[in-house]
Amino acid sequence: MSFNLKELIQYMASHNHTFFAHTPVVYHCHHFNLFLDQTIDDALGSKQGLELRTHAAQEATYNLLESICHFAKIKLPLDRIQVASTVFAAMGHGSLHFSANQRGGTVRGDYTHYGFSWKDKYGKAVRRTLPADAFGAGYAAAAVEVAYDLPLGSLKAEETTCIATGAPNCEFTLSPSGTTTKRQSPVRLNETKKALKTVFHGDQEETIANIAQGLVQFLGTLSTDERGLLQGFGVFVTMHLAEYYNRISYDAFYHITKQMPQSTGVMGGLLRESGHVCVFNTFGGILNSPEWEGLVGPITGNPLDIIVGCCAIGRALGFGHWTIHDFAPNQSLTLRTPSTYESNYHVNRHEMANEGRCFFFQGASLAMMQLAHRVDWKSKPDFDQDLYNDLFRRGVPWVVEETKCISKGDEFCETQVHLR
Amino acid sequence: MTPTSLTQIASDVPSLQGVLITAMPDCLMFDAYLPSNTTWTPESVASYFGDLVRANREALKSMDNWSSDMQVTIESSESLIILKEVQEQFVIGFIFNLGTPIGMVRLHVQKMLRNIEQMLASFQADPEEAPRAVRIIDYLQRYAPDPHASLMRLALKTGIPIDSLNEPHLLSEEYLDSIEVAVQEILGLSELHI
Repeated sequence: MSFNLKELIQYMASHNHTFFAHTPVVYHCHHFNLFLDQTIDDALGSKQGLELRTHAAQEATYNLLESICHFAKIKLPLDRIQVASTVFAAMGHGSLHFSANQRGGTVRGDYTHYGFSWKDKYGKAVRRTLPADAFGAGYAAAAVEVAYDLPLGSLKAEETTCIATGAPNCEFTLSPSGTTTKRQSPVRLNETKKALKTVFHGDQEETIANIAQGLVQFLGTLSTDERGLLQGFGVFVTMHLAEYYNRISYDAFYHITKQMPQSTGVMGGLLRESGHVCVFNTFGGILNSPEWEGLVGPITGNPLDIIVGCCAIGRALGFGHWTIHDFAPNQSLTLRTPSTYESNYHVNRHEMANEGRCFFFQGASLAMMQLAHRVDWKSKPDFDQDLYNDLFRRGVPWVVEETKCISKGDEFCETQVHLR
Repeated sequence: MTPTSLTQIASDVPSLQGVLITAMPDCLMFDAYLPSNTTWTPESVASYFGDLVRANREALKSMDNWSSDMQVTIESSESLIILKEVQEQFVIGFIFNLGTPIGMVRLHVQKMLRNIEQMLASFQADPEEAPRAVRIIDYLQRYAPDPHASLMRLALKTGIPIDSLNEPHLLSEEYLDSIEVAVQEILGLSELHI
């Protein structure tokens, strides 16, 4: 079996999206991953939330691994299992060890991203009794299904022990489900292209493009450690499936709009918060890092420099062609993009929206204003929970609105941030 | 009690970093004496002191080992802290520099306590307890792992509008059970000792 994983990763420089074997992926940190999963459980309840997250992981992973095996021409079940294990670690999700075949079995997870990072972030503050790694469970089931050419949903997965609940490792039990899942057409490269709008430029375009290009090259040099984790800039980073994020976010969101319409606002607010916590911590950590200093120069704390840097980071991580339409320090910020990983999915899977649906982009825009104006960069702060709580415990001075959105028929997505 | 009176009691005590008075059972700061160069805010610390004494009381009661004159002593990296409950309605926290001789600490605590108890006497009649919803939400915001998002999470879990949760004293009793269950889930607790 010959298999070069990096050859299957393709960066679309025009719209700043990344594809792994034609499957849309983005880089996200553990703050985002944990907060988003938590929001899904808050919205649906622990049981239904766990089901949605597991099924979404299984479907998204099935699409990815099927595609990888197709492009890399990997046909033997054991080779496919090996590929699945390699890909899981390479994406920063930890290590999986399979003792399973088409009839089921067990899969051990060491240092799984969700379980391990949950324990790292919340373990001292909250006692958890339910497993955290639905993504690992769904991934394990899909890996065996693809390995043995089983239809999606043939196997069901349950996480029986989890690092987040105090176990030394995670264990996933796979068993025949007795059914299959009706498979929706995957949103891959071709479907994504149909959702993209014409590229345009904004202020500081050349600077942003140059920094983004340098960052993309830098990202290409990174690899996960022996645990299968990618730890840097104060966060655990994953390359993750956009389909997973989008399915759990929009399925839960639309469930709330139908079943508990009075909670639509807080659901949107919490989805936005997952973007806010991600960008503040990860982008903040990157801007504050020696690597950034080496690539761009020392951070000055000038608000425009921060906004420019954030747009470049967003592009490099695959979030879209973020451009500055208008920026007035201490007053307002307007960002535009001809696509987001959220709108690419939404226009393919959902009816036209009546309001903006790029919750991550909204939260990210808000966080950029916080980074530009509320951080004392000269003091080289640690982007940790204490700083976050100190700054945001009593709310934020800015508000964000998504005034244009491709998911509601506009030609671009636009966020406007202004003082309360 | 006016701030001046606590200042009169505490200001001349050597090695003393501060005195906090917490009103129970709501764990709200009642009064504080702190030197002007103190960098932390006494409100949140006073609340945690109240929770600490309450948890200590419950633990000792579970062990059939509780008495009303119990006190909690904490040695941190920089301070020696004595927490003392006064007639179940107040918790007094005395914060000394670490390294202060314990005999001297006890002596000053005893002396200050006598004066503080006298001054608090007029406030001890029928203290008004905040509604349970207020206390639960206050507790959530003190201990939630993501405090800035805790009310939104509570609103989503319960379906109660966030505007209502922002005015917990007006919340109907019918919401109490769902609020309590949701807060237990957020904090990972099997029950709330509030």
